[in-house]
Amino acid sequence: MAEQAQRRAPMALAQEKSTDNNHAYEELRHLIVAPETEGLAAVEERLDNLEKRTCDVSEVVAEAIEMRRATGDQALSDALAPTIQETLRESVRRDPHVLADALFPVMGPAIRKSITETLRGMLESFNEALDNSFSARGLKWRVEAMRTGKPFAEIVMMHSLLYRVEQVFLIHRETGLVLNHLVAPTVAAQAQDPDLVAGMLSAIQQFVRDSFKSKDSESLASLNIGDLQVWVEESPNAILAAVVRGHAPADFRQAMNEVLEDIQRYFSSALANFKGDAGPFRAADERLSKLLETRYKEAPEEKKKPRALLIAAGIAAALLLGWVLYVSYASWQWSRFLADLHKQPGIVVVSTATHGRSLHVEGFRDPLAADPKALVSQAGLDPEKADLQLAPYYSLDDAMVTKRAEKILHPPSTVRLSTKGGELVAEGSAPQQWITNLEERTPLIAGVTGLDESHLVNSNLQQLFTLKSSLESVILLFPLGRAELEPDQDQKIAEIETRLRELQSQADTFHQSVNVALVGHSDTTGIEGTNLVLSQQRAEQIRRLLLRNGIRRETLRPTGVGTTQPLRNEDSEEGRQLNRSVTFKVSFAPAGSAAANAAAAAASTSTNAPPATPPGN
Amino acid sequence: MIQKKICMLGSFSVGKTSLVRRFVATIFDEHYHTTIGVKIDKKIVKTDGGEVTLVLWDIHGEDVYQKMRMTYLRGMSGYLLVADGTRRQTLDDALALNERVVQEFGKLPSLLLLNKFDLTDQWEIDSSQMSKLAAAGWNAINTSAKTGDGVEGAYLRLAQAAQGK
Repeated sequence: MAEQAQRRAPMALAQEKSTDNNHAYEELRHLIVAPETEGLAAVEERLDNLEKRTCDVSEVVAEAIEMRRATGDQALSDALAPTIQETLRESVRRDPHVLADALFPVMGPAIRKSITETLRGMLESFNEALDNSFSARGLKWRVEAMRTGKPFAEIVMMHSLLYRVEQVFLIHRETGLVLNHLVAPTVAAQAQDPDLVAGMLSAIQQFVRDSFKSKDSESLASLNIGDLQVWVEESPNAILAAVVRGHAPADFRQAMNEVLEDIQRYFSSALANFKGDAGPFRAADERLSKLLETRYKEAPEEKKKPRALLIAAGIAAALLLGWVLYVSYASWQWSRFLADLHKQPGIVVVSTATHGRSLHVEGFRDPLAADPKALVSQAGLDPEKADLQLAPYYSLDDAMVTKRAEKILHPPSTVRLSTKGGELVAEGSAPQQWITNLEERTPLIAGVTGLDESHLVNSNLQQLFTLKSSLESVILLFPLGRAELEPDQDQKIAEIETRLRELQSQADTFHQSVNVALVGHSDTTGIEGTNLVLSQQRAEQIRRLLLRNGIRRETLRPTGVGTTQPLRNEDSEEGRQLNRSVTFKVSFAPAGSAAANAAAAAASTSTNAPPATPPGN
Repeated sequence: MIQKKICMLGSFSVGKTSLVRRFVATIFDEHYHTTIGVKIDKKIVKTDGGEVTLVLWDIHGEDVYQKMRMTYLRGMSGYLLVADGTRRQTLDDALALNERVVQEFGKLPSLLLLNKFDLTDQWEIDSSQMSKLAAAGWNAINTSAKTGDGVEGAYLRLAQAAQGK
């Protein structure tokens, strides 16, 4: 056991030693490779972490593409193309609008350009077809095109073409070789090889000549194949052939002849010495191109067109002129109306606008201003066409202020109201009551700043004074030496009484009491003292008469003045008669005032003062 | 470009049409021969003097029923005289025809073609005849329209001759 234990001990020791070594090794290893290990771990993590990797690539992807593109390598385009195509397809599948919107700015111009190019490339016959597309005849041709299965343009050409010179050949007569050849642009594609055609044509000429044993100078003038003709003219060295579709007029042959003669003359040596080189005959292009002409049946119809067009244009112009005149007349009417409206007191125009034939007006209108609809009618315009938006307001225009004052004050016909700079002027005559009303209400009228009534007469006052003076002009006559009225004077008493009552009622309006002094007079006949008494008696007598008729006592103050206040000189009986009288003196005093009472008292004293004295006259 | 009118002359069925068929631009049908006696084709060849357009008048072969129209030959710059090497008679006819042409138009550049050379077993022209032809100034060329042998060269030679080179 002990041995075992002893054996175990060194093992443990060795083990311990080895453990120590391991530690040391680990430590050493750590010291040496730790930074690299960490670095490796970081790189590993970076590679494993998708997010980080994405981040790394995103930093360089643009530069990488740019760099690759700069090498001019096709591979990048090849690699991206399928993805881009797929992306575009997917984008269109999801929402076609996105791509459509993006392409919109380039699509328009591209389409326009393409259409322009296509149109430019259209053939003459197609233009013709377009011209005929919308007419009744065009429709008929369309039906024909559908029926026959031919293109519409061909049908149009077939019908509208009078003739068209499609090709012109200038052929060397002896060899049958082509010297020059022109083709109309519209048929250029259909033209056969001119060398062969020319050769065959001259062969045919010779064939015909041989077959019918005609003279050398005689030749086939034309070949007819359906609507196609070949017109042939010959000169000593050349043949001029024109391929004509349709029916050319006789003078076209004349034209051919002239051209051929010209060429024969001009190129005579070149023609005679022709050795297969057609080069010199290029110069005949201009002469030959004159023959390549096209005539349409439209020619006579075209003459009609302008006339119809002129008439249509004339009607259109007349209509336009009429319309312009109407519009300008309407506009003139509106402007005249607007000028009127501007002048109207109590109407303020802020803005106007015309919409077509109707007028729109905005502004303000005093309720008392003229009716704008009536103004529209007066101007000869349709009130329905006028949209008048006029807000109510108070105008300070003098005319409007006057109108407003008239509406509020109801002036009698004897009064004329006007306004000057805001001051209301009342002229004429009016009763006291209206004047009071005027004075009370004027300050309340909008726009009135003052009142001028210097030219306004109080009609009640006027009446008062009229009554006063009429009463004072009355002379009641008495017989000589008596205090009873002359018999014919009774009627005057009634009159006086009426006037007195009137006077009293008028004076009441002004809160005035009326005092009437009854002044008794006598002539100078008789004793003075008696005359004074008599005159007093005469005044008393009148008072009695008036009192009897209900005139208030306090109103009447009888007094006798004897001969002291004669009405006339007494150098005639008439003068003396007038001095035997009673006259009236009217005075006013404020009703109930002290002055009135005093006056009344004074009057009564003087009346009562003179004592009775011996009779006089 | 220079153009030259070249005629193909020879008896009926010696293969004139076959000689041009594969090598030319044509727009006309074969039946022109029988209707008006001529068919026109075109061949462009390159010579030392530049390109030349050969307008080939393929004239209907003469036979007992139909004489050749000499007027078709007017203005030609040269001609190919064609005989069928398998029929001796055609060579004689060709030479006789040549006599008439020379009489009418004078001496013009021309070549004698002995056609159908592909049919050697039926060949009727022997070397003695060839030397006789050579003595008459003919440099006869054996051609085969079927295989194309000698045809292109014949056109080229004639074009050059017609150009005076």
